[in-house]
Amino acid sequence: MKYAFFLGCLIPAREPNYENSVRKIAPELGIELVEMEGANCCAPFSVQSVDYASWLALAARNLCIAEEMGLDILTLCNDCYESLLMTNMILKEDKQTRKKVNEILADVGLKFKGKTNVKIFSDALYEDVGLEKLKNAIKEPFNGLRVAVQPGCHLTKPKRIHFGQWMGITALEELVEATGARSIAYERKEACCGGPLRGVNDEVAMHVAKQKLDGMKVAGVDCIVTVCPFCYLELDMGQLEIKRHLKEEYNLPVLHFAELLRMAMGIKLEDWEIRAHKIPITKILNMKEAK
Amino acid sequence: MKNIILLVCNTNLKIVNGGSKLSSLDAYFMHEVANTPRGRGVLVCIQCGRCTSSCPVARVIDEHNPRKLMEMIILGLRPEVILGALPWYCLSCFTCLDRCPQGGDVGEAMFAIRNLAVREGNVPKGILVQAQSLFESGRVVTPSRTALINREKYGLGKEPAVDVEAVQKILRKTSFDKLISRGS
Repeated sequence: MKYAFFLGCLIPAREPNYENSVRKIAPELGIELVEMEGANCCAPFSVQSVDYASWLALAARNLCIAEEMGLDILTLCNDCYESLLMTNMILKEDKQTRKKVNEILADVGLKFKGKTNVKIFSDALYEDVGLEKLKNAIKEPFNGLRVAVQPGCHLTKPKRIHFGQWMGITALEELVEATGARSIAYERKEACCGGPLRGVNDEVAMHVAKQKLDGMKVAGVDCIVTVCPFCYLELDMGQLEIKRHLKEEYNLPVLHFAELLRMAMGIKLEDWEIRAHKIPITKILNMKEAK
Repeated sequence: MKNIILLVCNTNLKIVNGGSKLSSLDAYFMHEVANTPRGRGVLVCIQCGRCTSSCPVARVIDEHNPRKLMEMIILGLRPEVILGALPWYCLSCFTCLDRCPQGGDVGEAMFAIRNLAVREGNVPKGILVQAQSLFESGRVVTPSRTALINREKYGLGKEPAVDVEAVQKILRKTSFDKLISRGS
């Protein structure tokens, strides 16, 4: 399996631990990641809020780069996923818009042809690698670790761009359970983490995150597992902020799904990766060793 | 009949806006929104309120209410919508999009309103910073110096380079640079 690897902005800037884990896991599962030369930002909702045409043209440029490589795109971020997937759908279906976007892209020598597909990391693992192969790669399974899965909004929403492509949150839960952990039901699992309002309206973002964390606390989980770098930041760093401003303490470690899988595959986290988590994950590591 | 409509409008206005004058309404506003690429949803809104009941932001603060925002658009309260803070509360989680019984795309309409708001200079600083960063570096989030040094230390190599020239060419063509200079 070969993919055009779309890294995005947030992950290299803030979460190298996520990137590193994916790069460590990929070869073990037979995934080849090919870098996308000169790719730009996916144009997430902040860009979409400013201008429609700019969003489509920037996202389409990334799609064109993947088309020229003759590969499908693999992204690690829910926001990149939404932006690229939606642009791909709009431009494939709407000939008029495609013509307009192609006029803009002509200036940089590109043309959208509609020959690539967009996949998010968990999507690719579930559909292309498959649970069977994944289970074979698990060497040190977690023994019933209680996990709150945080799928993030754009993994499944809006339905209309995911129809027929994605089986929903259950697929991510099956992946999590393949590592030997247990996905625990909790209130508002599908709800937003509040991350998109970070920097626009911090107080609202914090309260939205608190709602989620409350649900997880009531369910009594050991840790949170997510595929989205925004959810990761919001729930990990957000807990410190909630502790400071709202005087509520959760102490729930947050792991990227790639990190959970990596540990289950027996590839140890490095020191800097353990330190990258704002809420210490030593509890999880100790539980694993004790077993 | 006309009187009944006026009465309904006036009652609604009292609830929505503390009582604007009918003459201050912009009857074309709804169509202005509907004619943008993502704004068609306002035409089919039946004011059922399912968007508000599924909105994570509406759960935590009273100010944000997507149904009310749609009502304000339908009634034609242009300045209140375009220059206000309401459109900027949306998380774009798209829960309302999936739940609207009319296929009304409230979450999409938010982008339509925001696009109009930006053109009138109403942009929150957080969005503006990201937009400026996009124009300058091709990324909405740029890594700090330490992050760059650490990448190499951790064996992740250099950060993948962005073709900034191409990004700026595209953004100049769409007048993105002029738009964000208006907001700052």
